[in-house]
Amino acid sequence: MALNILVVDDSKVMRAIIIKTLRLSQSELGEVYEAADGQEALKVLDGHWIDLALVDINMPVMDGGEMIDRLRQNPATADLPVIIVSTEGSETRKEVLRQKGIGFVHKPFTPESLRDAISKTLGGLDEQKTGDGTL
Amino acid sequence: MNKKLETELYKAATLAFEELGFLLPTPEIDEQQLNARVEAAVSIDFEGPFSGNLLLRICGGVLPILAANMLGEEEAPSKSLQYDALGEIANVICGNMLPGIAGSKNVFHVNPPRMAETPDLPPVVEVQVGLGIGRADLLLFVSRYPGLTEG
Repeated sequence: MALNILVVDDSKVMRAIIIKTLRLSQSELGEVYEAADGQEALKVLDGHWIDLALVDINMPVMDGGEMIDRLRQNPATADLPVIIVSTEGSETRKEVLRQKGIGFVHKPFTPESLRDAISKTLGGLDEQKTGDGTL
Repeated sequence: MNKKLETELYKAATLAFEELGFLLPTPEIDEQQLNARVEAAVSIDFEGPFSGNLLLRICGGVLPILAANMLGEEEAPSKSLQYDALGEIANVICGNMLPGIAGSKNVFHVNPPRMAETPDLPPVVEVQVGLGIGRADLLLFVSRYPGLTEG
């Protein structure tokens, strides 16, 4: 299934790198959308079907943490798979993300690490779907 | 302690320039690289168990090459994209250096990169990296953690 992906990062260069890496990762891509902060991302999500969001943490206007909280509060986006793409090095913070079912890719990343994170995040979702049928 | 800071800063810089910028950093600086003029500089503030600022200066015509490499383009991108690229390099260096120094359990808040202002404090450590025709200077300023500044 081709994935519609939303890339959220305040750096235009980083968004370009992520999109280039996605193409190299041999992930099956549909539409790729971009947003420069959490607020812009929520607007994109309002008007388009998105299968996966790749989100930076530190952004102006609305950071990744607040954006994810808003997604989870909205029934339409509560189950959207999210992967944080960040330089975050704290295991404490990463563990909090893992407990929320959020994937993590550390910058700098390779096509393989991005593909693995996507597969793990979406695979985990499939397991939950088939596991208890509640998702 | 300063040796550890220098090692972690150099390691993080090498990783960022190699894997994100597709450049080959070297610890040795030749005369051309040493005399290269500063093209641009960005700095990043961070707060956590210790707080401070990382300043990154790029010198000698490397910035357009770095930005083009990061974007996978043949031609140098616009100046604003070049500064954006430099900011991302600094962000990646800072994000990878901090857990190396403080351990991976500590949490830091790293602010977005901004045009560089040199703080009043002297740097705790300064590292130079050779980058082909030019070089990068990395200066780490630390406040509010006296233990880190002890040599």
